This record gives sequence, C-alpha cells and structure tokens, in this order.
Amino acid sequence: MGYPVRKVSTNSANVQNIDRIYALSKRNVILRYKNSFAGFLWGFFKPLLYLLIFTVIFKQRSGIDNYVLYATSGLIFWFFFSNSTSQSVSSIIGSAGLLKALNIPSYFFPLSEVLGELFNLLLTLIVFLIIMHWGGLVYDLRLLLIVPCVAMFAIFVYGLNLLLCSMNVFFRDIGIIWGTIQPALFFLTPIAIPETDIPTEYRTIIVNNPIYFFIRLGRGIFYNPEPPSSQLWISCAIIALSMFLVGQFVFNRLKNQFISAI
Amino acid sequence: MSKDTIIKVEDVSVSFWQNNVGVYSLKDLIVKRKNPFKNKRILNDINVEIFRGQSMGIVGRNGSGKSTLLRTIAGIIKPETGTITVNGTFAPILAIGAGLELELTGYENISMLLALYGTSNAATKQEAIDKISEFSELKSEVLRMPVKQYSSGMVARLAFSISLANDSDILIIDEVLAVGDQGFQAKCMEKIYEIKHKGKTILFVSHFPDDVMKICDTAILLENGYVTHAGPSRDICDNYKQLF
Repeated sequence: MGYPVRKVSTNSANVQNIDRIYALSKRNVILRYKNSFAGFLWGFFKPLLYLLIFTVIFKQRSGIDNYVLYATSGLIFWFFFSNSTSQSVSSIIGSAGLLKALNIPSYFFPLSEVLGELFNLLLTLIVFLIIMHWGGLVYDLRLLLIVPCVAMFAIFVYGLNLLLCSMNVFFRDIGIIWGTIQPALFFLTPIAIPETDIPTEYRTIIVNNPIYFFIRLGRGIFYNPEPPSSQLWISCAIIALSMFLVGQFVFNRLKNQFISAI
Repeated sequence: MSKDTIIKVEDVSVSFWQNNVGVYSLKDLIVKRKNPFKNKRILNDINVEIFRGQSMGIVGRNGSGKSTLLRTIAGIIKPETGTITVNGTFAPILAIGAGLELELTGYENISMLLALYGTSNAATKQEAIDKISEFSELKSEVLRMPVKQYSSGMVARLAFSISLANDSDILIIDEVLAVGDQGFQAKCMEKIYEIKHKGKTILFVSHFPDDVMKICDTAILLENGYVTHAGPSRDICDNYKQLF
C-alpha cells in the first residue's frame, strides 16, 4: 500500500516534528490554567494543600519520622501521574479539529500532554525542594537520580496514556471510569500512610501496584537513608518499558480509525 | 506517473468502523465476543489524476464522501486499499474553524498553528503573522481575544488567513466560503484566483456549482462513495444539479 510521498528530507522533517510537539506542549501548559487567577501556581498549590491536610490527619498516628518528607515525595509523583493521565485520556477526542485538518501524527497529542505535565513537575519540584529542605532533606548529588527516575516514570505514564486515549475514542466509558478509578489507585498507593498500615491481606495488591514502584523509587531518592536498590531500578525500567509497548501496540492498532470516530 | 502529475489516486477504497447496532453491553463484547464495530465502505475504487496547476472541484450530496476523499488525499486518512502518490506539499485543509483552539487568543492560535504547519523560523513567522492579520482584517485587539468570543465569520477569516499564509503546492478547500460576509467572500475568491494563477493546485469542495465553475477547470461528482462523473466542471455541475 502506498502512502502520500512528501518532498521533505528526513532531517528537516524531524526538526519540524520537534517544533510541532513543542507547540502542542506549550498549548497544553497555557490551556491548563487559562482563566484561573493563580495560573500555573495551582501546579504546586494542589500538592501543597494535600500535604497540609495529610500532615494534620496522619502525622501523629502514622508514626513516620520526617512525615513531611515522606508524604511530599509521594505526592509530587502522584500528581504528575494523576494530572497527565486525566488530561491525556481525552487528548485525541479533544484534538478532532487539528487531526481532521492536518496530516499530523496522532501520538503527538498524548505525548505533548506528558511533556506539558513534565514542565509543571519541574516547577513543582523547584518549590518542593525548598519545602523538603525545611522538612529535613539534605542537598547532595543523590538528588540527581531524580532525572532517570522521572524519565522512567514519564515513559510509563506515556504508555498508559497511549492506551487510555486511543481506547477512549471508541469506548467513551474509559474517560468516565478513569476519573472514578483514580481515588482508588491513590489509596492503594501508600502515599500518606506507611505500607505497614495496610492490612496484610491487601498488601499483595499494594506491593504489585506499578505506580507504587515509582513512588518507592522517588522515596529512595528523597526520603530513605539508603538510595534505591538496583533491583528496584530494574523493576521500574521493566514496568515502564512493558507499559510503553502495550500502549504503543493498542494505539497503533486503533489509530487509523480515529478520524471517523472523533 | 507523467511529469506534471501532482496527485495520483489509484483504486483507493476507504472504510470506517461503524458501531454495530445491537452490540452495546460489555457483556456481549467479552462473553459473546461480538465485534462492536463493522466496516463500512465510504469510498470505493476511486481513481483520480490531478496535474500541477489544475483546479479540481468535488461535488456531491451530503455524506457522499467528499471530505473523506480530501482527507485521504491529504494523508490524514489511510486508505484501506489502493495507492496515492503525491508530488508536492499540502496546506492544511481549509474547513470551518479548522484546528483553532477556542480558549486561546487569535495570536496564540496563529503561533501554534504556524508551528504545526511547519513555519518555525522566527523571521518567516513574524512575516506570516503580519500577512495573516493584514489579510484577515482582524484588529490586533481582536487577535488578543480568545477565539471563543469571535463571530463565526471572524473565525472563518482567521482560519482562512492562517491556511493561506503557508506557501505550499496544493490547497484544499472544504466548503469554507459559506460563512464570512460578502466582502470577505469576494476577497477569498480573488485570493483563490491569485493562487491559481501562480500555478498552484487547488482541490475545491462546494455546494455552489457557480463557485465550482468559476474556480475549477475539471470536477468529479461523488455519489455514495463512487465517482460517477468526471470531466469539465461545467458538465459535472449540470450532472450535479440533475440530482435534485
């Protein structure tokens, strides 16, 4: 089967694609807090508010040393996950106008959602690094591990987004269900409470919850005295890669039919 | 492919998935393993050849597959079978409000769409923005407003101007001239003539035979996904009028 052939050299086409992804990510960052008074400040107001609530409710009874640091290290990653998946789930449906007018690869849309949210994560991290310092975080070279950690988490989230946004085109239930599942996932991921507080019969679910692997990785960087084990790094890499491959597979199977369904 | 052929569509068929009526519950989907979708043919064995500098009109009733054909030629929809060979670059399809983000301002939209269309160089970008604001006749205070506050005619002006700012070989127009006031419509027609005289290729979908005859040398008539007539635009428009 032949496809339209265009007279652009691959090199300039790649440069152009980077510009296009950048333009879409920028749009997402602008759109997210458009018409809100505090603007992008909401990016860290939200986790900050959660941190305050959790500190009030759980600090005493959790028995965790350095509770602020413990909760923060989980919350930052949780919000990255939650924001970018809930934005991405409708990214294909919401881009009908562009997708119908322009020959533009459809994966740009979920990808730019993740990139836009990574930018927000960067801003949030800067503020929270200060809060965490006050909570007892020591600035040292170990903090640089945050880069590969976030990169792997972003690949995982992108893979999940590919799956969610492509299925949502055909089964709009996905978008509705996803909003409902998120609170459950939140409580199945020990973010505010220690792992040991979960009843033993449910602990297998927690231990195998893929999101919790990444939260543990982040905790290993910000909170635990010991850096994350190489075993944990490998597990996270495998989870991220598998999620990416599954998402990619489903997305590619469905993408040719997007135009007729959006 | 002869030397001046710019678009060649050979035996192209396009199908869409359509909801299979009766399969609604997840139970049917999982337990009975019914396919929730069935394939529906939208275009059947389309053969079209367009030469460089030619303007071709596409006419047909609602739902005959005009927009689908345009999108397939532009590479937005992948054909099920057949081959499409294109020897040039496309401007984005001109359709009402195409690609404009309602929450963003006019300027933000221009900047985003130019990048998406492939104009990223800062100097050419500024030049393009000037051209767009001039052609659309929208004042800079209007362009600073979110597009959701525009009237439909203003949206059409902006979309049309942005699409034209792109210097590509093939222009695709999908029924966009219906909105916009008479002054702007006349201006658009003039602009389309100008583009035509520059030797650009134009694909033009319209429900107004007069416009098709004015702009296009040749035309095709689509009926239920088949090309039933092809030839000089005057003859095809007569065929089209006989449908009603």
